[in-house]
Amino acid sequence: MIEFERVSRRFGDLDALRHLNLTIDQGEMAFITGHSGAGKSTLLRLLLLLDRPSSGEIRVKGELTRAIRSHRVPRYRRRFGVVFQDHRLLFDRSVHDNVALPLVIAGFSPRDSARRVRAALDKVGLLAQEYANPATLSGGEQQRVGIARAVVARPEFLIADEPTGNLDPQLSSEIMALFEAFNQVGVTVLVATHDLSLISQLRHRIITLSSGRLAGAETP
Amino acid sequence: MNSPTGQPGERWNRAAVWRAQHRIAAHDSWRKLLQRPVATGLVWLMVAISLAVPSALLLTLENLRPIVPDVAGSAQLSVMLDREVNRTSAEAVQRQIESWARVDTVRLVGREQALLEFGEQTGLATLLASLDRNPLPHTLRVLPALPVSDSALNRLIGELESLPNVNRVVADTRWVARLGETLVAGERWVLALGGAMILGAILALANTLHLAIDARREEILVVRVIGGSPAFVRRPFLYTGLYFGAGGGVLAAFMLWALSVWLTGPVNALFLLYDSPGQLQSPGFKYPSALILSGAIIGWLASWAAAERYFRQLETR
Repeated sequence: MIEFERVSRRFGDLDALRHLNLTIDQGEMAFITGHSGAGKSTLLRLLLLLDRPSSGEIRVKGELTRAIRSHRVPRYRRRFGVVFQDHRLLFDRSVHDNVALPLVIAGFSPRDSARRVRAALDKVGLLAQEYANPATLSGGEQQRVGIARAVVARPEFLIADEPTGNLDPQLSSEIMALFEAFNQVGVTVLVATHDLSLISQLRHRIITLSSGRLAGAETP
Repeated sequence: MNSPTGQPGERWNRAAVWRAQHRIAAHDSWRKLLQRPVATGLVWLMVAISLAVPSALLLTLENLRPIVPDVAGSAQLSVMLDREVNRTSAEAVQRQIESWARVDTVRLVGREQALLEFGEQTGLATLLASLDRNPLPHTLRVLPALPVSDSALNRLIGELESLPNVNRVVADTRWVARLGETLVAGERWVLALGGAMILGAILALANTLHLAIDARREEILVVRVIGGSPAFVRRPFLYTGLYFGAGGGVLAAFMLWALSVWLTGPVNALFLLYDSPGQLQSPGFKYPSALILSGAIIGWLASWAAAERYFRQLETR
């Protein structure tokens, strides 16, 4: 469970988030939407401790994130799988090595790691491209590699920031279907997107932000 | 791990994880260096020159040092007495000089003995024997108390010359004292130059490493978000710095060895010409190991500094 309690984040005299109250249940899948600058990315950055709130509290499974000491932050972040809009793959290494990165960080044995990487690639349908360079893949394939990397260490939470921003509708719904599949096996999924037409077809909660405030939350 | 889906049984223990991460970082960093052989070679050359020049000078000084006390033993003054001074008066002068604090020893060389030695050294013994009168005076060999500065030696010569019965004082070995002083100055000069060159190497290395880190900015950002610790992020760069420094040290050791091989012939011939038993010392084992070790330390320090600075900038952005 993720809880935001009166969370504000100010940058100078700009309020990115204003007294935000929000609860994401364990095992839930939710969309965060709003125009650019509404506070979607700020919310995700606060959750990943890439930024700290100006005021208010964030709790993850009851643990106050403010109390996490800086040397514990890397371990905290490993509980999240993160998918970026521009997928952020490393083109100096193979698809396999990209996906294996979180496992290397978390300290999995090479054998165990290889097995998990193949399982994750199989899940996103890219097992055949295991040893390809990600630069040779299409945009949709690259994003699926990014998703494989996010889920390979079996995180508790899957966070995606505009994961379909650069993809056509067909590929976008494939990506969303992947997120739903991970949600069905118990992963809490939080997707920031402005692709309203796509998410309105899916039956998940849509949290709308406007100028840093909660503008509405519709539950299907 | 607090992940409910993680399987602790499959995890390695901490030490194994640490070793594996080091192995991967060490291997990847090495591979990246070899991918850019020219750039890597230039960095090695830069480090090697910064290390080799001061150590070559140091080696030179070390070679000169043993010769100095050797000659300094003979850094004595020959006090020639007036020809008419007899042995008893000569001994009186000897005792007088011996009582001076700034004088170590005084040895009297009688005129008969002096003639004998001169004849032996020059091979003119027969000719000298034919002389009806010994042309040499009694001589006192005065060894000043060491260390003696040039000006103190001059003062001593003046005092000796002003003594009654003294004809003149010969100090043809005064250059030795000057050489000793020069060596001390040279040593300090080498230390200062070496320090400056090594500092320059550290700064240039830090700059090179800063660029290497910046080239992997994307990777650093990703690794940070997915839970890589600062140590994990820093590790490959520390290895890069280590390779740059130690590789430069290896090259410097090779340069020093080549230099000493190149110089051995002429320098040993020179020693021979000066009747010195000395021989050019090779860098041996001490110099190469010191060069490689100091190169590695310099590289590691430079990469640590560069990484810290880079990450601090990253955090505050």
